[in-house]
Amino acid sequence: MSNVVVLDNGGGLLKAGLGGDLDPSVIIPNCLYRPLSAKKWLHPSPISISTADAATEAPSDLDLTSASVRRPIDRGYLINPDLQRDIWSHLFTSLLHVNPSNSSLLLTEPLFTLPSIQHATDEIVFEDFNFASLYVSDSPSLVHFYEASRRPTSLLSRAQCSLVVDCGFSFTHAAPVFQNFTLNYAVKRIDLGGKALTNYLKELVSYRALNVMDETFIMDDVKEKLCFVSLNVPRDLQIARKPGKENLFRCTYVLPDGISYTRGFVKNPDDAKRYLSLTDEVSSPSLGVKKDVIELDVSEKTEDRKRIDLTKNEFDLTNERFLVPEMIFHPADLGMNQAGLAECIVRAVNSCHPHLHPVLYESIVLTGGSTLFHNFAERLEKELRPLVPDECQVKITTQEDPILGAWRGGSLLASSPSFEAMCVTKAEYEELGSVRCRKRFLH
Amino acid sequence: MDDDATNPFRRMSSRTRKVAPKMVAALASSDNRTQAALARLEALENDNAGVEVVENIDDEDASLDDDDQAYIQKRQSKGTKRKTRQAKALEAKKAPKTFMELLHEANLESLPSHVPSYSKAAVGPPSSTSRRHFCTVCGFAASYTCIRCGIRFCSSRCQNIHNDTRCLKFVA
Repeated sequence: MSNVVVLDNGGGLLKAGLGGDLDPSVIIPNCLYRPLSAKKWLHPSPISISTADAATEAPSDLDLTSASVRRPIDRGYLINPDLQRDIWSHLFTSLLHVNPSNSSLLLTEPLFTLPSIQHATDEIVFEDFNFASLYVSDSPSLVHFYEASRRPTSLLSRAQCSLVVDCGFSFTHAAPVFQNFTLNYAVKRIDLGGKALTNYLKELVSYRALNVMDETFIMDDVKEKLCFVSLNVPRDLQIARKPGKENLFRCTYVLPDGISYTRGFVKNPDDAKRYLSLTDEVSSPSLGVKKDVIELDVSEKTEDRKRIDLTKNEFDLTNERFLVPEMIFHPADLGMNQAGLAECIVRAVNSCHPHLHPVLYESIVLTGGSTLFHNFAERLEKELRPLVPDECQVKITTQEDPILGAWRGGSLLASSPSFEAMCVTKAEYEELGSVRCRKRFLH
Repeated sequence: MDDDATNPFRRMSSRTRKVAPKMVAALASSDNRTQAALARLEALENDNAGVEVVENIDDEDASLDDDDQAYIQKRQSKGTKRKTRQAKALEAKKAPKTFMELLHEANLESLPSHVPSYSKAAVGPPSSTSRRHFCTVCGFAASYTCIRCGIRFCSSRCQNIHNDTRCLKFVA
């Protein structure tokens, strides 16, 4: 086999590259968009690999203001195969430059994909693109595979067992993985992810300040730059009430005006960082690493931007900054009849064999883009500790690049010698059909 | 809210209110508070592309006069007649199904109880029923409930804003 295409087909971002590489060569939003100025649906331009400055450094001159978006994936599952086919064919021909008929495909699929969707996926892969062979995997097992091979001496790798918390774009899963297989009877899901959070922020800002209901891309940027997880909600609510300089959370985001700049930005990046001084006294030393990332993110071109003063196209955020990510920990506050993330993890662990419980609590791996909120892991540990039996240790591992975790695992798997034997070939598909082939993947 | 205190003139929203079709249905039903809450949650999963089409159709219907009604009915009935069964099937094929439709089609309830499935993986209700309420106007802890629509607010200032803008108008 010449090459393996590894494709992590997420609801928000599509990560693709060749098996064996360290990083995916292409990351693009898994959608088509139509700016106000265009009549046609366009393919978004790829995002650069270093995610820290992805949004600001993207080369596209296109104005994303009020762009409509069409996504092939809804609630995490593929509902529009035709649209997905469009996006994939753009990906394979113009971005990756691969010839599907002499390569195999490693594809990620969400857990519990419905049979009809699996069937549609197989049809696209084998009948439209003519891939030579296909292997379908789920992201928790790939993340586990990657973490286990990265730290061979850790408990996670010695016990071959971990609890992967995947908080992505469409939903959040707590999935126990054992011997590289996701224990699907124990998986628990919260129907909240990055998309719902962005939409919630949109709704709040639209009601309180400016109508931004159509600004999906801009509000994504606002969420990524300004939102963080609070370690003490009542205290932070008190602080957010204070006027003037004492309010550590107030900061202003400037919307693009379409003339001098086509991207929104944080008006005063120092204001946006002021909340960090608060968290120092409570948190653990592991915070130091993360701080650098945030500083890197906002410390550009501040001098000339400060001077720009707009009367209308900006809005203030105060308590929205931490109340939005708060929803993952307490979906009930939104009126959702679902338990929060900590309880979700406990329920997932309790569905496993009791012998696994201590190991699972000690090897929790956080992955997915929504775990990038500042203080996410600290808050989770704080909520989880009281719920876990005293004799168990809680240890939460964060990945250094949670968006790419599943892809890297896939890349490793694709370069392992046994990979070819695990695939279903086109000939087998044609002979046996979709259903029988799927049995091979033990789904 | 602090914002309002600093601004001498309260900014009024200039946008047109869009009431989603689901909201209309929710308002018509008997237990509309829970229905509206559900519809609001549903709206969190929306993309902004699909909405436009629906809006246009709504506007068209809304602008009709009573005089035109008969003519339109005629036109509509003519239109439906012309559509053959085949054309309808094609149209249905073209429009992608929503995930909820696919889920319904998969008929997961018919699976034996030990088989893990999408519906069984949901985390389920929280163990404690206590819920924090946040003011829909300013976001701080809310101790009062609107007697008409059940939405929360924290002070009389927020109540006034709520009554002016959002009460019983479930903005999608």
